[in-house]
Amino acid sequence: MESDEVDFVFYGTPIEREEDFTSRRKKAVAEASGNLRALPPWKQEVTDEEGRRRFHGAFTGGFSAGYYNTVGSKEGWAPKSFTSSRKIRAEVKQQSILNFLDEDEKAELEGQFLGTSSQFDTFGFTAAELARKQAEKEQEKRPSAIPGPAPDEIVLPATESIGVTLLLKMGWRHGHSIKVSRADSRYDARREARKAFLAFSCDDAKNQFGSLGSSIEQPVHDDVHSSQSPPAFVLNPKQDLHGLGYDPFKHAPEFRERKRLRMSGYKEPGYRKALSIKDSLFGFKSGKVAPGFGIGALEEYDAEDEDVYASVYDFEETDVQEDEEPLRLGKDSKQKLIGKEQGVLPGFRVASNSDNHLERFEPPVIPKDFVPRHIFLGPLETDNKLSVPPPPEVPPPEDNNLKILIEGVATLVVRCGKLYEDLSREKNQLNPLFDFLNGGNGHDYYVRKLWEERQKRSDQTKLALDGKLSKNVQKMTAESRGKLLGERPLDRTLRDSSSSVTSADVHLQFNLSDTFTTPSATELSAVAKPFKDDPAKQERFEQFLKEKYQGGLRSTDSSGASNMSEAARARERLDFEAAAEAIQKGKLGKQSELSAQQFLEFSAAGGMQFTSSVLEEAKDTQSEKLMVKNMFPKREEFEWRPSPLLCKRFDIIDPYLGKPPPAPRMRSKIDSLIFMPDTGNTAKVEESVVKDLKSDVHKISKEEGNNDIIAEVEVEHVERPVDLYKAIFSDDSDDEVEGSNLKKVEDPEKKIDVASTTLNRLIAGDFLESLGKELGLEVPPELPYSTNKFKTPGPQKETASIDAGNASILPVGNNSSSTCDAVSGTPKSQAKLHHLDVSQVGYLEKNELIDTGLPSSSQYLETGSSENKDVKVKSEKMPQEARKAKSPSSRRRHWSSSSLSEDESRKLSRRHEYRSDSYSDSSNDNQDRYHSRSRARKKGSSREKRRNSRHSKHRKHRTMDSPTQSSRYGTEKERSDSKGERRRYRN
Amino acid sequence: MGLSHQNHDDGERERERERERERGMSVSDLPRKEANVLKGHEGAVLAARFNADGNYCLSCGKDRTIRLWNPHRGIHIKAYKSHAREVRDVHVTPDNSKLCSCGGDRQIFYWDVSTGLVIRKFRGHEGEVNAVKFNEYASVIVSAGYDQSLRAWDCRSHSTEPIQIIDTFSDAAMSVCLTKTEIIGGCVDGTVRTFDIRIGREISENLGQPVNCISISNDGNCILAGCLDSTLRLLDRTCGELLQEYKGHTCKSYKMDCCLTNTDAHVTGGSEDGSIFFWDLVDATVVSKFQAHASVVSSVSYHPKDNCMITSSVDGTIRVWKT
Repeated sequence: MESDEVDFVFYGTPIEREEDFTSRRKKAVAEASGNLRALPPWKQEVTDEEGRRRFHGAFTGGFSAGYYNTVGSKEGWAPKSFTSSRKIRAEVKQQSILNFLDEDEKAELEGQFLGTSSQFDTFGFTAAELARKQAEKEQEKRPSAIPGPAPDEIVLPATESIGVTLLLKMGWRHGHSIKVSRADSRYDARREARKAFLAFSCDDAKNQFGSLGSSIEQPVHDDVHSSQSPPAFVLNPKQDLHGLGYDPFKHAPEFRERKRLRMSGYKEPGYRKALSIKDSLFGFKSGKVAPGFGIGALEEYDAEDEDVYASVYDFEETDVQEDEEPLRLGKDSKQKLIGKEQGVLPGFRVASNSDNHLERFEPPVIPKDFVPRHIFLGPLETDNKLSVPPPPEVPPPEDNNLKILIEGVATLVVRCGKLYEDLSREKNQLNPLFDFLNGGNGHDYYVRKLWEERQKRSDQTKLALDGKLSKNVQKMTAESRGKLLGERPLDRTLRDSSSSVTSADVHLQFNLSDTFTTPSATELSAVAKPFKDDPAKQERFEQFLKEKYQGGLRSTDSSGASNMSEAARARERLDFEAAAEAIQKGKLGKQSELSAQQFLEFSAAGGMQFTSSVLEEAKDTQSEKLMVKNMFPKREEFEWRPSPLLCKRFDIIDPYLGKPPPAPRMRSKIDSLIFMPDTGNTAKVEESVVKDLKSDVHKISKEEGNNDIIAEVEVEHVERPVDLYKAIFSDDSDDEVEGSNLKKVEDPEKKIDVASTTLNRLIAGDFLESLGKELGLEVPPELPYSTNKFKTPGPQKETASIDAGNASILPVGNNSSSTCDAVSGTPKSQAKLHHLDVSQVGYLEKNELIDTGLPSSSQYLETGSSENKDVKVKSEKMPQEARKAKSPSSRRRHWSSSSLSEDESRKLSRRHEYRSDSYSDSSNDNQDRYHSRSRARKKGSSREKRRNSRHSKHRKHRTMDSPTQSSRYGTEKERSDSKGERRRYRN
Repeated sequence: MGLSHQNHDDGERERERERERERGMSVSDLPRKEANVLKGHEGAVLAARFNADGNYCLSCGKDRTIRLWNPHRGIHIKAYKSHAREVRDVHVTPDNSKLCSCGGDRQIFYWDVSTGLVIRKFRGHEGEVNAVKFNEYASVIVSAGYDQSLRAWDCRSHSTEPIQIIDTFSDAAMSVCLTKTEIIGGCVDGTVRTFDIRIGREISENLGQPVNCISISNDGNCILAGCLDSTLRLLDRTCGELLQEYKGHTCKSYKMDCCLTNTDAHVTGGSEDGSIFFWDLVDATVVSKFQAHASVVSSVSYHPKDNCMITSSVDGTIRVWKT
């Protein structure tokens, strides 16, 4: 048997041998019943079928259930606060029994649930599954040649009977009735006839089939229709540009037909072109497809993928589209007409006779003698003459002077209009000479004279008109005459013409005289053509002259210049004005030619002045080109460091070989910070910066082992990372090196604040650099910390000595730290305070920076220009002023924060102690002394604070400051000594 | 200075004429007859380049492929497909063994020519890469990107980090040229910057107009810069003087190539209307102009030895021109 087995090919899992099977079952049964002898009862465990521990005993949770034998879930039963806002709605969790059931329990429940029956199973999966199960069951029942269950893979039950399969192969489809398709020839014939009919008239077809319009294109559907089978859903390809599912004809199905007709109309020869374009839209080069071309399905389509070349095709397309549009319209109207004839709406028919008759009226009869042209009876002037009766003849007044005056006034009035009369009457109301205007002496004569003058004038004009225009005078209207004369149309007076025709007429004359300011100016342009070489410009110039001397309204865009830019036009206008002026002058001086030359020069100069040329003004553009040519190409040279590897790859010796690498700029982040709007979030920013700086400072901190101790101690008090403290402390000790005394004077309570000092210094360094640039000083690039440290003491001393007289100049360290205190007190208040500070004193903010950065800044200034002392002093005075303004307030803030709570102050004092311990090695006596003093001061200050009102504080502080400061100066030397010691120590 | 320049100019002109006479180079020798049309790219062809000896040419386009052709027989040899977006430039090593290409997918691909497999991809450009070139030893690829930088990539090591990033440009770098010792980049900010590795200097020539394409004359003394004001400018490399301007064509909005003929007697370039222009190098007169393509001529490449030229266009074709 064993040897035989080798030859067999096994398929599936081998059937287990009886004995093995039984033994295992026995064991399982034994385990399940718990009567396994091997283990004592208390060690036996109840497990479920998956081997999980089932029972835990009464005290450990009973039955295994839920989540790791707890009643919880993975999320647990942790209490959650219910939050629900308008925007974030609380999720209502629907609990069902399934949430609380194990898998096995769920399996038990399975029979009660609904499943997909084979009848509705679309994909046949469930059906196949079910059938297989069924088969398996049957297999168990009946005896078969193959022992055991048949492999599933081999035996696949049929879901469809052989009959169905056969039918399907014959062409039957689900849902169709079974009958001989196309059995009767009559049907075919009818169909053919129908097709032919349809080809002739679509509309009839439509009437016949009603809604089955699409049958023309898809005659197969007719079969479907005729065989009474359930409707087959035909998928119409989406060819419109509407959204998916949008049916524009939803509420107006009539129009659908129209649309269809129109589409079918396109297929006529006239529309071939349009159609081909439509087709080409889906072609490759259409430009509508092209943009997406070359982009994978998973890549998003963004601006970079725009097909820049697509515009080429767009042009073509639009051109054609334009051609197409009117055509379509024409067709549309035609369709409309046809529709009217044949009835557009299904179920409607054009009535044979309509009640709605349009009533037509005969046109009025034209008299036979009517001449279709208006003839004026005569000039208005004659009318005037007729209508106004001449005033009686009056002898002139005796006074010859008066007579002359009256006559003069009359002529003037006639010439200039009634307004003049009114004006002079008003003006000369008190003048007895002008009584005649008001009906006094000589009024009659005046009236008569006025009439005479008017008469004379009208005659004159009439004569003139008659002489000029021979016969067709009568046809001339006022407007046309005005046009001829180059007048501007007059705004008509609102006065009733019949009542005072004369006055209106006079008014007209008056206006006319206004209109013709300086005639004959146009001749000038003929004399001088300053822009001969540029006809376009010359033309514009002439236009300009015309406009200028015409006095009419200027058109906003003077003809040729409309396409010019504003600047170019303005420039040209300037040229023109200058030229016109010169022409005038030249005319006066009879030197037109010379002046013309002048204009040329002028215009050329003008061209030189304005660099942006727009038009093709030869001269200007040329000069500009020259300029551009002179300007470009511009050569600049910079240093550039090829990387060593690049040099190697190019087989070139590195030009910078052996030279030190360029100084790294370590202000990338801070740069952006400085120019940030300074608001409350500075605190956060500072913190982050401090963290950034951490690594750098960490190095320094390593140098000074003692500081680490402090840091470690410090951790107890404030819950912040150790490294941060290291950073802070190492930096603090920096400060200490620079000016240990100064440092000690004020409260060294908040060491964290020094972090902000570092920041401030960095910022200040930047600021100073820019300031130095402004002041014209050469500011050395920012130096690494270590060098900074070593250099500081000297200049510091120097500044001190320079400003020894000035008591308030030096509290550098003091101030810096105090501001720092203010800046970063407790994390929360710090931001607020800082913000407050910013809002309070705008420019002080800057000075604060100087302030804090002064240790380094003074050094910079010093090294930069030692001879330039006045500048330096100035730059120092500024911070000093700032300090004056600043220090009290900052101090106050600091106090307020320090005296916030007893607890904190206690903490601070403790910190103080630590600090003093640590410092003892370097400058013991100093430290102690200052330490105690500062503590005393602190106490005093807090007391002070409580006592004083807010307003009196400033003064108080200053008085308090001074003693400490003076003492500081006293110990200046001492400090420097200690520093030297320190340096030595470090080296 | 001006006088000397004049002399220099005259001298050069004289020399040029001499050279022309020697070679018998005249207008009639310009490649103006269409010898072959290489069709195969689906969509715009963005660049076409001869290889070093001029026997083959490479093209790349919007269909994300690089194609290798024999332009003289008009045969399509191979297509290199791996780019995710359009391929904007391609260059082949002098020994024809490797290719580099770049494009809209912000990567530089380093190909093996014979197998058609990508050896390496260099990522790092923050924008599309406009141009790419090998150096003389095919050890470095220098790419010019939309991210205002030139980047040098190492082909020798396995590093995919750039050897050097040159980011002194203030706008998109459009074109790059390499000499033995220099990297020259043309930029939309109007500058042509020469980075001399030997002396460690950057020389920036500001032309005042966006530079679309640069190419070096065959004698290496001049740079031809195609500017977006429809002008080609010829610069003297030693002193940065503007030697000549070539006008007449249209180049306002597309990246288009220009180059000098192999004798340096003429300047050639395409136009946005699909025509090809030939200018006399010295007189800047249009000596020949003909309609070559239906659309924008994206690239021109002149045969290193023969009178032969290939042009590629947005219309999807590459045309080979011979005398």
